[in-house]
Amino acid sequence: MQQLVRAGARAWLRPRGCRGLNALAEEAVQPAEKPEPLASAGPQAPVLRRCELPVPLHRRPVQAWVESLRGYEQERVGLTELHPDVFSTAPRLDILHQVAIWQKNFKRISYAKTKTRAEVRGGGRKPWQQKGSGRARHGSIRSPIWRGGGVAHGPRGPTSYYYMLPMKVRVQGLKVALTVKLAQDDLHIVDSLELPTADPQYLMDLARYRRWGDSVLFVDLEHEDMPQNVVAATSGLKTFNLVPAIGLNVHSMLKHQTLVLTLPTVAFLEEKLLWHDSRYTPLYPFRLPYQDFP
Amino acid sequence: MAATMFRYVLRGWSIGVPPGCGLRRLSQTQGTSDYPRFLESVDEYRFVERLLPPTSIPKPPKHEHYPTPCGWQPPRDPPPNLPYFVRRSRMHNIPVYKDITHGNRQMTVIRKVEGDIWVSGWIGQGPILTSGMKGQEPL
Repeated sequence: MQQLVRAGARAWLRPRGCRGLNALAEEAVQPAEKPEPLASAGPQAPVLRRCELPVPLHRRPVQAWVESLRGYEQERVGLTELHPDVFSTAPRLDILHQVAIWQKNFKRISYAKTKTRAEVRGGGRKPWQQKGSGRARHGSIRSPIWRGGGVAHGPRGPTSYYYMLPMKVRVQGLKVALTVKLAQDDLHIVDSLELPTADPQYLMDLARYRRWGDSVLFVDLEHEDMPQNVVAATSGLKTFNLVPAIGLNVHSMLKHQTLVLTLPTVAFLEEKLLWHDSRYTPLYPFRLPYQDFP
Repeated sequence: MAATMFRYVLRGWSIGVPPGCGLRRLSQTQGTSDYPRFLESVDEYRFVERLLPPTSIPKPPKHEHYPTPCGWQPPRDPPPNLPYFVRRSRMHNIPVYKDITHGNRQMTVIRKVEGDIWVSGWIGQGPILTSGMKGQEPL
């Protein structure tokens, strides 16, 4: 496991044009899902997908196996290439932390409110005269040092913790999360989410057989096109969740142990996440019409 | 007083006829019977569409001679055979910037560096880029 993380880090650190470093190490550096060499007698796995968007000249696409959910054993149906700027970018854990904390806090409104000494009922009159009574001097019975008095520096009214991280930081967070999932062997690409049965037990047994972990996040492209079987199976399970591609977020990716993407989802994510690398700064919000967007 | 006003209004406008009917009847006696017609057309939206700005940055055009009059040079193709690589910014420029802190500390910042900047064969030096030997072979 540690070797794979180190291998993934090394794969990112060494660009294509490196020299003087042994090619064998470079071969070993690719993720463990590299296909058999051509000399072997087994049938060649067809490459199901290449990167549509241009890859930088000094980097090569990362490769991953394509699996299938139709049978237990169908773990290497094909091979896909993944764009290095999305699936093999710098492992910026600080950006992951920023985005995860932002996701947790920006929706928060704390409704805690306490009464100050001015709002507590009563306490307008001086309880006893300033001098002569022998007791400490006080101005009101509702001051903070009194029992039953107001709170001095308590929470004041509904407080909003809303803030927005820059769009590019949130996009980079998604890219880093996908990179980290792939580098740690927690990312599985599937040709489509079609199941033979709608039984939730089938999904659990499949995940246990393939050692995916306790929680799996399935990501399909559109909400309307999700197959009925997988919708029924995941609705019956608590730790196996199904989201459309627009619902992918850093917190969900970190919360679930495994991430399962379909091939159309991978294309969609690459296109949307790479668009931010070569766009102008917005003159007005992107929800208003532009010449070539959306 | 109010009752006479009420009876006067009733005489002018019979019950069940919407108000303004009497006015319409007056205009009808003058000849034109319809409201002016109008035609919806979406073709003129092209005058708006050509004003909308683009979102994606275009690739720089090919010139005959480099560097261009402003001093711009495209990145070398194929990339140089070095252990590190410095990407261009999204506007296709070199990502070298000046920074100043505390009023007197001037720094040069090189962003978007990828690869091995701490070249292991370069003993005793800092990163290869800071020693001024950018692009040259390490010893």
